[in-house]
Amino acid sequence: MPQISAKPYESTLRLPFDTQGLAEIAYRVLSVDKEPRRNFVQKTLSLELDVLVVHFYADQVKNLRTAISSFFEALLLCQDTIKQFGNAVAVEPAEAQEENNAGAQSSTDSA
Amino acid sequence: MVCSLGIEGSANKIGVGIIRDGEVLANVRRTYITPPGEGFLPNATAKHHREVILTLVQESLKEAKIKPADLDVVCYTKGPGMAPPLLVGAIVARTLALLWEKPLMGVNHCIGHIEMGRHITGAQNPIILYVSGGNTQVIAYSNKKYRIFGETIDIAVGNCLDRFARILKLPNDPSPGYNIEQMAKNGSKYIKLPYVVKGMDVSFSGILSHIEELADPTKNPNKRKKTQEAESPETKPADLCFSLQETIFAMLVEITERAMAHCGSNEVLIVGGVGCNERLQKMMEIMCEERGGKLFATDERYCIDNGLMIAHAGAEMFKSGTRMPFEESFVTQRYRTDEVLVTWRDD
Repeated sequence: MPQISAKPYESTLRLPFDTQGLAEIAYRVLSVDKEPRRNFVQKTLSLELDVLVVHFYADQVKNLRTAISSFFEALLLCQDTIKQFGNAVAVEPAEAQEENNAGAQSSTDSA
Repeated sequence: MVCSLGIEGSANKIGVGIIRDGEVLANVRRTYITPPGEGFLPNATAKHHREVILTLVQESLKEAKIKPADLDVVCYTKGPGMAPPLLVGAIVARTLALLWEKPLMGVNHCIGHIEMGRHITGAQNPIILYVSGGNTQVIAYSNKKYRIFGETIDIAVGNCLDRFARILKLPNDPSPGYNIEQMAKNGSKYIKLPYVVKGMDVSFSGILSHIEELADPTKNPNKRKKTQEAESPETKPADLCFSLQETIFAMLVEITERAMAHCGSNEVLIVGGVGCNERLQKMMEIMCEERGGKLFATDERYCIDNGLMIAHAGAEMFKSGTRMPFEESFVTQRYRTDEVLVTWRDD
């Protein structure tokens, strides 16, 4: 396979949060999971006040894409959790976004 | 008093449960149902879980009538299971633990099943048969560990049932195993299948290949044997379901009985999703009666994966002083039952 670039591919995401505290929560939640070893991607997280900075290094663009999109899945879930449960003392936040469920088949049973 | 919230999402079920000092406050669950003939894939399952998990957390708090501040610990399933769905539970649990300023506890899925079964049934020191879509183990407690006496050497018993249900195109709603159980009630003719017990271990993949060929002989033309025609001019799916259940459950009863004899125990506890199969419970009960023992089993609320069992096992760990540093709140696809030090039992 002809090599297109000898240098690694890189990407930096800058993700601001409302407060420094929330940025720190996201930082701690998302720092736990290491990249899978076979993905050959290096991911570093850091905090700049209320901005979460994520830097990716990868050998191949394909791997970079995989790493970034799975990072986004985790980030979105963390953000949604903060949105719904962030002000825990408040009574009941609006019923969760039911419209998201479209497409997924799901059966309910509560015990 | 320990009040604990648990999140479970290691396979196609996602559940949240809340327990306070052994009292069940909430236990809500959703199942990702795929069309007949199809299994559930990791990423699609994770997507389903992401879409419903926060609603479930809301529902559980509402049902339990508690505020997040009333909780003492937030628990999640650390493994074993499929990584993408596990991660969904872990990320939400981590975020909630930090938002609510509560300690976080990672729980072994199998330990969750065992402790929930013991708690609900009141069994003291039983031989445990843990049978589900991903696991098949015979377990006994000894010296601070749940020791695995026997297990499957290839696929889990539930996996065997699920995949056979797919061949027959049985629906996955409410679960493939349930539909096989119902169909088996109409079967009466026993078709001989391989019976594979190797010492204390069992194997199901050969049985599955064999019965797949019986169900659909056109699929595997590589059979030189003509016995199929002689043996079964037409095999009814109901008879196949019946025979499959009888064979594989007999194998499980055999290794369970041997574990009982070895440990001198007269209690058996069945846990895991396959554990709510009434035929399995019946067969195990007959064996127990013959030995003068007692069978403990639970219904589908506690047998099938649920958040409550994670909350309960996590609460037991928490009470006994176990703490998990936040940085260690990762998930792991492989996490054996006997890796966990049982700090909450003194016997």
